[in-house]
Amino acid sequence: MDAFLNGFAVVAQPDTLLYCLIGVLIGMLIGVLPGLGPAATMAILLPIVVSIGDPISGVVMMAGVYYGAQYGGTITSVLLRLPGEASSVVTVFDGFALAKQGKAGTALGIAAIGSFVGATVSIILLSLSAPLVAGWAVDFGPPEYAALALLGVLLVSTIGSGHPIKALIAASIGLLLATVGRDQFSGAERYTFGSLELSQGIDFVVVAMGLFGVSEILHNLEERHGKPHVPATVADIWPSRADLKVAAPAIGRGTGIGFFLGVLPGGGAVMSSLAAYATEKRISKTPEEFGRGSIKGVAAPETANNAAATSSFIPLLTLGIPANASMAMLFAALLVLGITPSPALVDENPDLFWGVVNSMYVGNVILLLLSIPLVGIFVRILRVRPAILAPITALITILGAYTLNNSTFDVFLMIAFGVIGYLMKKGGFEPGPMVLAFVLGAILENNVRRSLIIYDGDPTGFVKDPISGTILAAFVLVAAWPVAKTLLDRRRAPATTTPDRDHAGV
Amino acid sequence: MRKQTLSLVAIASGAAIALSACGGVATSTGGGDGEEYPSGSVEMYVGASAGGSSDLISRAVSTGLSEELGEQFPVINREGANGALAASEVKSADNDGSVISIQNASLFAITPLAVAEDEVTSIDDFDVVGGVSRDDYVLVTNSDNGWTSIDDLKKEDRRITYGTTGVGTGAQLSCALTYEVGEIQSEAVPFDGGAPALTALLGNQVDTACLQTGEAIENIENGKLTALSVYAPERIDFLPDVPTASEQGTDVEVYQYRFMTTPKDTPQDVKDTIWDAMQATFETEDYQAFNEQNSLTPLEVSGDEIVEMLKSDQERYASLVEEYDIDLGDAS
Repeated sequence: MDAFLNGFAVVAQPDTLLYCLIGVLIGMLIGVLPGLGPAATMAILLPIVVSIGDPISGVVMMAGVYYGAQYGGTITSVLLRLPGEASSVVTVFDGFALAKQGKAGTALGIAAIGSFVGATVSIILLSLSAPLVAGWAVDFGPPEYAALALLGVLLVSTIGSGHPIKALIAASIGLLLATVGRDQFSGAERYTFGSLELSQGIDFVVVAMGLFGVSEILHNLEERHGKPHVPATVADIWPSRADLKVAAPAIGRGTGIGFFLGVLPGGGAVMSSLAAYATEKRISKTPEEFGRGSIKGVAAPETANNAAATSSFIPLLTLGIPANASMAMLFAALLVLGITPSPALVDENPDLFWGVVNSMYVGNVILLLLSIPLVGIFVRILRVRPAILAPITALITILGAYTLNNSTFDVFLMIAFGVIGYLMKKGGFEPGPMVLAFVLGAILENNVRRSLIIYDGDPTGFVKDPISGTILAAFVLVAAWPVAKTLLDRRRAPATTTPDRDHAGV
Repeated sequence: MRKQTLSLVAIASGAAIALSACGGVATSTGGGDGEEYPSGSVEMYVGASAGGSSDLISRAVSTGLSEELGEQFPVINREGANGALAASEVKSADNDGSVISIQNASLFAITPLAVAEDEVTSIDDFDVVGGVSRDDYVLVTNSDNGWTSIDDLKKEDRRITYGTTGVGTGAQLSCALTYEVGEIQSEAVPFDGGAPALTALLGNQVDTACLQTGEAIENIENGKLTALSVYAPERIDFLPDVPTASEQGTDVEVYQYRFMTTPKDTPQDVKDTIWDAMQATFETEDYQAFNEQNSLTPLEVSGDEIVEMLKSDQERYASLVEEYDIDLGDAS
């Protein structure tokens, strides 16, 4: 409890507070700009974060970018029918419909309130759960990490928003890339082609900056922006009591869905906003209202994406496993700052842990207060042409890649991955699963090998161990589910039995 | 249009921050040409990531040098290949004192035993200015195991696992030698550095581990871990009750030490200036407190002594590894 309160003392320091403000403002800004997502922005900002010098301020700022983006994305969705951010795509349907009815203010107000509630409930749950997970820290050894990484790779490649087969291919390439470098166990060089630069392995930060940052910049250059839209006028931001009453249950459900999906690897803000919208529509007595200006259709996804954005910090800060692309960037930032996220983080580095978590309480209050008054400014920012934005962001990224490790090799490697990421996007492959599999691949391989040494070569040890056994059972369930579902569909039989019981113990 | 300009200003200032992060463009060119050294900032390469003990030591010395000599000594992290990448930057730099580096003994004395010949970094490519400090390894076990000495390990009639901090490190060598010399059935479990090895030890997933004293001391003091042995020539001040391996009849001496290097043939007056400033730094209270806090033993000896130590350690380790047929890596 002391550590928790100390966290607020950390946040209350003027410079931490300032970086929190800068972070959420940048987040909101890029949330407004279509194209540049939070992961790409975090990739571009990463070297700057390192130069701040104080790890807490840096991480607070990076976190602010991520959850700030969830607020910003709403604004353009509602006013311009232009989702600034992938997680606000579904908000367009009802948000813009409301705006056309002259109720843009209501939509933005409800979205802001929902966002705040979703995020705050998620932070409270994060505050409560992290110390619990940290309590198991020492029970989490190599077998547990191996099982968790395996489950993570599967979830990342199957749950994502894109095509599952393509995601699986991208993830496999990510796993392969993770093998490059001097083997930690035998000292053997793998795929290094005699290069000392590669003997340390491919730097994860460089890969992430290339695949998320550079590829996004290249991709944006192609996008042609139409002439500036004329935004709807915004009035009556505070929703009426009747509107709130309608929205309240949707906000509640959105929080639950967002929190749960945010924790899962491969989940996060985008998926949870879709799921929350679909759920509202399914359980509604008047589903025809959706798409024509339903308040619930704005409240649910906007709540869910914020709840998810917050809860996805849990696996990263407690286990060191990033759940989505943006968390992968935060992971990279922590590594560059010399902090390895692990269950011990909350005990060993309480200032950082609670400083970051508590900055989110503060950040969300700032966002709630700022998101409405700044609407006008953000709408105008949309007029910045990508042709101006791209060279500047490219310059910052390249300078940044160099300063991270003072290596020109890294700069070229990053550009190469940028081109690869761009081509992947052209071919319909998401870079996300590749980057996440790359992170998880190293965790997976090293821990499987460590476990086997500890078990003296006996692989049944993984199953006998209660924690890793449970995780592996979950893996089998997730893996078997699509197969079982297809089989059941083919037989057109009602899915009343759990088809996975036979496999669960394997 | 006005708002557009506003956002551009914001982006440009972002670029400015990134640019300023590059820092230290006007480097020192001092020495030899009558100019006072240092005449500009001096780059201090370190072959490890920010936050590790090598990095912290470089930064502590850098702070002292800046205060003594009045110029900036920015620390540049060039991680990779046990420090070989940073070493090659220094090796190829101008020998005017504008690029210097505190390097680790393990790169010259231990890593060559684990990697292919063309990857070996030789101390002959550098001038050694002087020693900095010694970082001792300690053999630790979870206190639940009830072991208190190397002899207790010998009595066990089973395979004992030991966590190491990677291939070609002193931690790996000290543990491997202990088990081989003591004829104890054992298996190495390599981890990514000290922190995960420590966690696995606390969770009792590995039986023992060789760690740097600074990494383990907190858990030794709170009783969660028991120190079985240190590998220094004599007992170390930070763990006065822990016997050395030699005291326990296992003749293994392994330690990490760090020293200031410059490119080969750097002018003597430049090296003297650096060494004088380093010695002044060593005298400061801040620096001594830093050593204390990180369980570092001062090794503030001349460059020649360091070179001798390196040569003899290298031979000693090589012959031990050969005698006991220890495999530190595929290429050895």
